Amino acid sequence: MVASIPYITLAWLVPAFPLLGFLITGLAKNRLKNNQAGILASTLVSLSFLISVLLFFTMKSSGQESATLTLFNWISAGDMKIPFAFMIDHLSIIMMLIVTGVGSLIHIYSIGYMHDDERVNTFFAQMNLFTFSMLLLVMGANYLILFIGWEGVGFCSYLLIGFWFKNPDYNYAARKAFVMNRIGDLGFILGIILLFFTFKSVSFTEVFSQAATLQTGAPMITLITLLLLVGAVGKSAQIPLYTWLPDAMAGPTPVSALIHAATMVTAGIYMIARSSILYNLAPITLNIIIVIGLATAILAAIVGLRQNDIKKVLAYSTVSQLGYMFLALGLGAYSAAVFHLTTHAFFKALLFLGAGSIIHAMGGEQDIRKMGGLKKKMPVTFLTFLTATLAISGIPPFSGFFSKDQILTDAFENNPVLYVLALGGALITCFYMFRLLYLVFYGNQRLSTSHPHESPRVMTIPLIILSVLSVFGGFLNIPSLFGGDSGFSEFLHKTIISKITAELDNTTEIGLIIASLILLGLVILLAYRTYVKKAVVPAKDGEKISVFGRIIANKFYLDEIYSAVFEKPFGFLSDFFYNQIETKILDPIIDEIGILTSRLGDLVRKLQQGIMSFYFFAMVAGILLFIIFILIV
Amino acid sequence: MILIIILLLPIITGLLLLPLKNPATVRIIALTAAVANLLITLGLIISVPSATYSVNWTHFMGTQFTLGYDGISLIMILLTNLLFPFIILSGFTRSHIKIPVLNFLILFTQSSLLGVFLAQNAFLFYIFWELTLIPVYFILLLWGGENRRAITLKFFIYTLTGSLFLLFGIIYLFTLTPGLHTTDFSAFNQLHIPAHTQNWLFWILFIAFAIKMPVFPFHTWQPSTYTMASKQGVMILAGVMTKMGIYGALRFLFPIVPEGVLYWQNIVIALCLTGVIYASVIAFRQSNIKRLIAFSSMAHISLMAAAMFALNVYSLQGLLFQVISHGVTIVALFYLVHLIQERTGTLELPQMGGLKHVAPGMAILLLMAVLGSIALPMTSGFVGEFLIITGLAKQSLWVALIGGTTMILGAIYMLYAYQRIMLGDSNPAFSKVQDIRVLDYFILIPLIAVIFVLGIYPQPVLDLAEASVNSMQKLLGPAGEVISQLTH
Amino acid sequence: MKEISSAIQLIPLENYIGLSVALFSIGMMGVLFRRNTIAILMCLELMFNSVNLLLTAFSAYHSDPSGQVFVFFIMIVAAAEVAVGLAIVVMMKRNVDSVDINLLNRLKW
Repeated sequence: MVASIPYITLAWLVPAFPLLGFLITGLAKNRLKNNQAGILASTLVSLSFLISVLLFFTMKSSGQESATLTLFNWISAGDMKIPFAFMIDHLSIIMMLIVTGVGSLIHIYSIGYMHDDERVNTFFAQMNLFTFSMLLLVMGANYLILFIGWEGVGFCSYLLIGFWFKNPDYNYAARKAFVMNRIGDLGFILGIILLFFTFKSVSFTEVFSQAATLQTGAPMITLITLLLLVGAVGKSAQIPLYTWLPDAMAGPTPVSALIHAATMVTAGIYMIARSSILYNLAPITLNIIIVIGLATAILAAIVGLRQNDIKKVLAYSTVSQLGYMFLALGLGAYSAAVFHLTTHAFFKALLFLGAGSIIHAMGGEQDIRKMGGLKKKMPVTFLTFLTATLAISGIPPFSGFFSKDQILTDAFENNPVLYVLALGGALITCFYMFRLLYLVFYGNQRLSTSHPHESPRVMTIPLIILSVLSVFGGFLNIPSLFGGDSGFSEFLHKTIISKITAELDNTTEIGLIIASLILLGLVILLAYRTYVKKAVVPAKDGEKISVFGRIIANKFYLDEIYSAVFEKPFGFLSDFFYNQIETKILDPIIDEIGILTSRLGDLVRKLQQGIMSFYFFAMVAGILLFIIFILIV
Repeated sequence: MILIIILLLPIITGLLLLPLKNPATVRIIALTAAVANLLITLGLIISVPSATYSVNWTHFMGTQFTLGYDGISLIMILLTNLLFPFIILSGFTRSHIKIPVLNFLILFTQSSLLGVFLAQNAFLFYIFWELTLIPVYFILLLWGGENRRAITLKFFIYTLTGSLFLLFGIIYLFTLTPGLHTTDFSAFNQLHIPAHTQNWLFWILFIAFAIKMPVFPFHTWQPSTYTMASKQGVMILAGVMTKMGIYGALRFLFPIVPEGVLYWQNIVIALCLTGVIYASVIAFRQSNIKRLIAFSSMAHISLMAAAMFALNVYSLQGLLFQVISHGVTIVALFYLVHLIQERTGTLELPQMGGLKHVAPGMAILLLMAVLGSIALPMTSGFVGEFLIITGLAKQSLWVALIGGTTMILGAIYMLYAYQRIMLGDSNPAFSKVQDIRVLDYFILIPLIAVIFVLGIYPQPVLDLAEASVNSMQKLLGPAGEVISQLTH
Repeated sequence: MKEISSAIQLIPLENYIGLSVALFSIGMMGVLFRRNTIAILMCLELMFNSVNLLLTAFSAYHSDPSGQVFVFFIMIVAAAEVAVGLAIVVMMKRNVDSVDINLLNRLKW
């Protein structure tokens, strides 16, 4: 164990605490009463957070860039040596802080949210298991440890999406999420295997130090990065593997906040940022990432316009924001992607938790057409939700402004067309977020039966903390334009190597910002006029809407297309193989061989006529023939 | 001497059980013998690390009774002796039908299986190979389910036919040995057989193993036999007997007909991969859980067979690791399936659902076994399949891609089955179903613990196989260089 | 023993072979063409004895006693066979009141 950072030997405790929490709450789930499980789980995750903070500061003060902690030798076969090791560097420490920090807030929130659920202990056990897996993912010192976490979070997501397992639809959603992730994971593991063949190692330090010597655009690197990208596309819900994420909203809302907004879905971004050195060598892959990211950002935003389930709106918004992160990755602006990941973790977790608070208050109702007028009834939720909405829309000085602006500027530097498309997506985002805000909090209460009330303090305090982070999170990385030092990016530059692009001059940049702000203002005004002034309520199910609107409301029929192209043929193939090939061809052939012997017997036994003289004659003739045969040969 | 004890302890105990009357005593004695054998095996692994060790007992007709082991045999012996205590323990039920006979047959199977893995002589190997069929035949016939006569007969004749080819191959090799003919593996391994002879001899030797594993398209006996077999019967068949095929192929094909292996390599890999996809796709629509798991087992075994023919250190290490991992996982799965059948009285998926409400313990254990089966990281299945896929990728990326689809397809059908059985709204038909009992814990917890412990710390098993794999690797060398030296 | 051997050797080997072949052929023809079961059994004995004769002769000419050992074996087998065969014939007589071999035509599938 080489301890280059003080207290690095404590690093194993960070994942160990949630694991411990999982084991305790998992094994004693029938004994723990009331809030015990929730308090225990939250405490342990908070302890992990404290250690992460400690590591962060010792790392900063010692000036060390990375440190590795090897626990034991995991797999060794032939020349393959894969240790079970953690690596802490500037990227992973940021991820650790997000995972444990946002994670502990969501755990605390869940104490209130899940209070009445009969399986609350199981819930916290699974949440802790998730946190553990996620920490393995971000702390692993090689691709295979990352992969453990990668699949681990996928499995926890499966468990938690299907948490309310009585509903077959939820179970289907859980399975769909897992299988789609698995498709990506296959690509990912093949990428890891090729990495191993190319570099004779899968550890980050060795791969990256060797990769520096490789040529840009080498076919092998392109192939590896593409395969890794398949994994990232599955995990981070990008086109074509994104349809699981909206369905994943079947899980309890804190799960959506933690797994499907703040942490797990960003694993793909983390992985690509982590492999920045490899991706810099593969310009083709980067271009593909740009296309995927931009397409996902816009497509998901358009679908978000017509969703009426509060969580579905947020889910599509997550997909769209992940698209922006992908766009940044494709542009080679890895630190911008990670920065957006960070601010997104704050405001999207906040949005989901706010949505949870609303759903809690509405007694489980999720349809925004039935809400309205909640502003007075739930002031804390309203204010926090408002800050998050402003942040995601990119209004200065909220955090989303800084992170999104950076991506947009990078896009402009690359190609103005990209900028225009990305800005268009941002405007749509702004519109549907304000549509959501206005429909839920303004106007009159449309569902008279429920009596909404503000959530308990255990739920509102995490909301307040997250809203503070959403407001001020952007100040971590103030660009030089506003006299800042880009602290966040600088910090990451020690680990991630972003592509160097020409800086825009200040006047262009200010011009772009002002233009985008004016457009945003107009969009908000439009939303205000439509949903507050005119009090338009989206059409009820079954009501007639335009063809275009229907296509969007049905998510471009992508689920139906997937079902027709993959699921149904698969089932058909299965039946065909079993009912035709197996039972009508292969099995009868084997049986036929058996039957053939008895048929031959039938044929031969006809000789057995029962006439004794014939038998004698045959015997003698046989012997004679035999003798003649021997004499001749 | 210790090998003789390992070999004969089960069968002698089994014979002593026959005159006993009290089922409880019979079971406890049988279990004690199996556990003792496991402990001896573990002692052997720890204390006698040398790769070969043989006891020369007697000579008759040019055939020696020679027992011995190397790393590959050790893994097989470990698997056999690890699983049999659980197989015997799973018979500690209320059933009282012919308990002494049943336990005798199980122990008889164990001895003959151990004989297969210990034999250092091809003829001896063949004798034990066929001997395993006898007790298994009776276990299937006497304790089997619906349509057992026809299915058992088919199984018996099918495997026996394959074995006859093997016998022919052994006799042919016997005639090739120089001087005083012998059937010792050591003599076979030194034969220099011409390439064109190796090409046909390969299939003569392989067909018996291909049927036993089974490899597509020789698998048709397997789903129906598994579905019909009793609890212990299917545990023996799926857990250990399929591994006989793998062991035999490793023992016979690679050292004796290496050029034949290289010649047919691609075709056999193609067959195996066809089997992987074919079985996985079929498994998806099976309504009978046992048949579903039978097809899933076939998919996994096919992947292992493909790994065997990828011929590199990763795939072989992965294969041998997967032998243990698959054995443990499939036995746990089949035990759980039978548990579900005993408690609910059905195996049909459409009639299932909501079992988790009444049997949460069973649900968790089933989920864990399923995880092992779909190779989630931190389970032993992942370590094995990761190494296998690595080995396949060394062969070709496409091969690895096709082999790797088990990860996806396995997740699809196993999770579907799990959800169909356990989840969903509570089912009134199952309201009186009992959850896991103490006995079930005794069987399932250790098996599942093995799955997870080996997933987190696989090194001991990997080390066990390393020396043998390296020697085999040396034999087959990179691109067959060594082989061309051997033949010229 | 020696005297018997030398006595046997007084006659040339060809004669023994000729006699044996003749006896064997007669026996075989009898087996093939007679219908009386007892006659068939007797013809069988004749064939055995022709072989015995040949074995004895060769044994004497080669001064190798194992030929004569074989003869004893054959005689034992023949005795056993006749015992069984005659028993069958007795049963046959009791059941069908005949010893005609062609009446036993139900020995078939």
